[in-house]
Amino acid sequence: MLPVKLTVNGRTTTVDVDDDTPLLWILRDQLGLTGTKYGCGIGVCGACTILEGSAAVRACQTTAAAADGRSYTTIEGLRNDRCQRAWLEEDVAQCGYCQPGMLMEACALLAAHSSPSDAQIDDAIGDHVCRCGTYPRIRKAIHLASTLRKR
Amino acid sequence: MMRTTRRDFLRITSIGTTALLLGVDRIDAEARETWKPNPWLRIDPDGTITIIVGKQEMGQGVRTSIPMIVAEELDADWSKIRIEQASTGPEYTALNTGGSGSIYRAWRTLRPVAATAREMLILAGAAKWSVDRGSLRTENGAVLHDASGRRAHYGELTAAAAKLKAPENIAPKKLGTHRIVGHSMKRIDGPAIVSGKAKYGLDTRVDGMRIATVLRPPSVGGRVVSFDGTAAKKIRGVRDVIAISSGIAIVADSTWPAFKARDAVKVHWDDGPNHDFDSKKYIDQLTAAAAQSGTAMRMEGEAAKIFAAGGRELKATYVYPFYAHAPVEPMNTIASVRGTSCQIWSPTQAPNRVQQFVARHLGIAKENVVVHPTLIGGGFGRRLAADYAIEAAEISRAIGAPVQVVWTRNDDMHDSPLQHASVESMRGILDNDGNITAWSHTKITNAEMNISPPEPKPADLTAYYIDNAWGVYDIPYAIPNIATSYVDVPSPVRYGPWRSVYSPSSTMARECFFDELARSAGRDPLQARLDLLADGKTIKTGDLTLDRKRLTRIVEALRARSNWGKKLGTNRGQGLACNIYDGDTYLGYVVEVTADEKQWRVDRVICAVDCGVVINPNGVEQQIESGVIWALGQLMSEITIRGGRVEQSSYADYAVPRIADTPRIEVHILPNDRDGAFGMGEPPVPPFVPAVLNAIFDATGRRIRRLPIGI
Repeated sequence: MLPVKLTVNGRTTTVDVDDDTPLLWILRDQLGLTGTKYGCGIGVCGACTILEGSAAVRACQTTAAAADGRSYTTIEGLRNDRCQRAWLEEDVAQCGYCQPGMLMEACALLAAHSSPSDAQIDDAIGDHVCRCGTYPRIRKAIHLASTLRKR
Repeated sequence: MMRTTRRDFLRITSIGTTALLLGVDRIDAEARETWKPNPWLRIDPDGTITIIVGKQEMGQGVRTSIPMIVAEELDADWSKIRIEQASTGPEYTALNTGGSGSIYRAWRTLRPVAATAREMLILAGAAKWSVDRGSLRTENGAVLHDASGRRAHYGELTAAAAKLKAPENIAPKKLGTHRIVGHSMKRIDGPAIVSGKAKYGLDTRVDGMRIATVLRPPSVGGRVVSFDGTAAKKIRGVRDVIAISSGIAIVADSTWPAFKARDAVKVHWDDGPNHDFDSKKYIDQLTAAAAQSGTAMRMEGEAAKIFAAGGRELKATYVYPFYAHAPVEPMNTIASVRGTSCQIWSPTQAPNRVQQFVARHLGIAKENVVVHPTLIGGGFGRRLAADYAIEAAEISRAIGAPVQVVWTRNDDMHDSPLQHASVESMRGILDNDGNITAWSHTKITNAEMNISPPEPKPADLTAYYIDNAWGVYDIPYAIPNIATSYVDVPSPVRYGPWRSVYSPSSTMARECFFDELARSAGRDPLQARLDLLADGKTIKTGDLTLDRKRLTRIVEALRARSNWGKKLGTNRGQGLACNIYDGDTYLGYVVEVTADEKQWRVDRVICAVDCGVVINPNGVEQQIESGVIWALGQLMSEITIRGGRVEQSSYADYAVPRIADTPRIEVHILPNDRDGAFGMGEPPVPPFVPAVLNAIFDATGRRIRRLPIGI
């Protein structure tokens, strides 16, 4: 048990949780940031993907102890990002539940590769599950986003 | 054309029309008021139009397509439409959402009531300006008098409209005059989804809410003998560990302590009567039962005689295993029970069923249970069951506080109703010219879903199995002698609706076996289908109507849009399958694959569809993309049960389609002259698997008759 100090979407907060508490539940239950989703809890669905710096991480696989002192961006921290705009343009979402995780992964991908190939997209999104089958539109939207201005 | 009578309109508006009723005696000083002409529509004095959605959104797009239907008839400004989700209540008794029926019903029922409301606004304008009704028209949420240039937005006319008697027999707009319906619209919830603001069940919060998680018996039908929650209660944040009907509930202040405490609870389970149930043995049992005569379904000609006479006969057995839905949002529900009343917030497809089942479980009046549906993180039929909502209600009552039950991913895999396994036994006779003279199809499976209490079987089993045997008796091809039957082999497996329910296994068997016969006769499988649809007849079987002309157009469109008849290259092949879903939606695929003895992948999918009037073309395309990828999962993995226990636990051991598995998908929506709008959620699923299996045969010469193929 320890107070954990972390920065989320530019705001620094301290939460009092057991040190094995996954960051996912700190975000959702302590900070009320429910845009980050619970899907599997074991890092195989990608629904809880957030950014640490510009890298995608799984909030369900990051413990409070590991998150202490670090800085994260969640879906709530994106403001009119080019991925969000491309997602709307391609009307990607169906039920939409997995999409915050997809969007955060797409942001990380574009930070690493300004114009990703289909294979790079498949590689990045390959660890994410969408049961509605929005994959063809995710591919299109990432390609589109790569052509849009960041703001 | 559907018309609404005054009686219908009044019935639909009977309760909750305060604005309408008050309007009668209102004086002009209060003339501007919110008007709710029917349960589905509210118009505010500022002209804001709110459409109340009475079907559940799980990705199929009803929160966009249903408002499109209403906005069209109202001549509203689409960009200014607001939507609200209906909670259960006296006006909202048909909220359950499944069977691809939402659009079919909305098209029939909502157009007349919206058209009547629009007519009342026009009549209000005519009275206001003392002009002929005929000189007025509507556009973008306003009544216009072109002769004088006068214009009043609907909000300015609500008070006057509310005073009018609803006119009778107002016909909806004619096909071809639509400005919203038939035009691709983007999902209304899109902006909320991409910003993380969309609230699903799991994101919903109620003051004072606890979190609970439930340990359920490892084996179906098992029960708790004893338990010890002492160690679990020592975990910080855990409040209580209690026994409930479905198992042991851990109640905590937040989610993680509840999850963490699961391993700390000691439970002694009685595995119950199904502790030795084995899905593999059950499927063997189904195969053995193929010899039974079962219940006769559609019987035509003299099939028995022809099979007895023998000849060039082909036999095949197709095996379809168990599958999970595995939606990404795990099951969850909030319940707040106070005394004899209960509020529920749930990602459910079936708010009225939840209301009914929770009331029954708590022993309170149905009217005292109010269900507020949330967005659903994937439904696929799983959320037609009320199991997880009942748990929430029971725990809330026990602890005297609002509670959110949260299932883990493991819970979802182990304890959810499944798609049921079945075996399809096929026989066919070819004459010397290669014509199919006799066809026999027997479906062997468990007939009883168990998400509701069992009901006694009626005497007329043929009528009883009429849905179960979808894809069996509704063979569309003109074969002179047909024998179809259904054999019920009960199982204890949790069994509930799964996207396209009974259809996939039998459609697979029918479309693959047809391919086997055609190829065995040296015929082209596409042309062989056209030949047996060529009489262009419309036939009725069971409660379904099958139009061979319409299906012919699907097959012809597939031939025109695909590489059919061309060699694609080494290890590549094409396959075709088509289906009429529930007598309504006509849909077929040509699929291109790359396959050899060891691996396979689907490269390209060409789809042709006739779903009648298309509300949102973009939505139809999405449902086909979705249905293809959903159906692909049936080729990849299965649920197995040993010792009465589901063996798979998550996406790690139950493989679902990923982005790299996704083929190129091309959709061709065929123009048609039908007056109905038909469902698109389920119809894309059944014909996909047989098209792939037929393509793999084309590529490899290997006939796959058991799912899954593997990954």
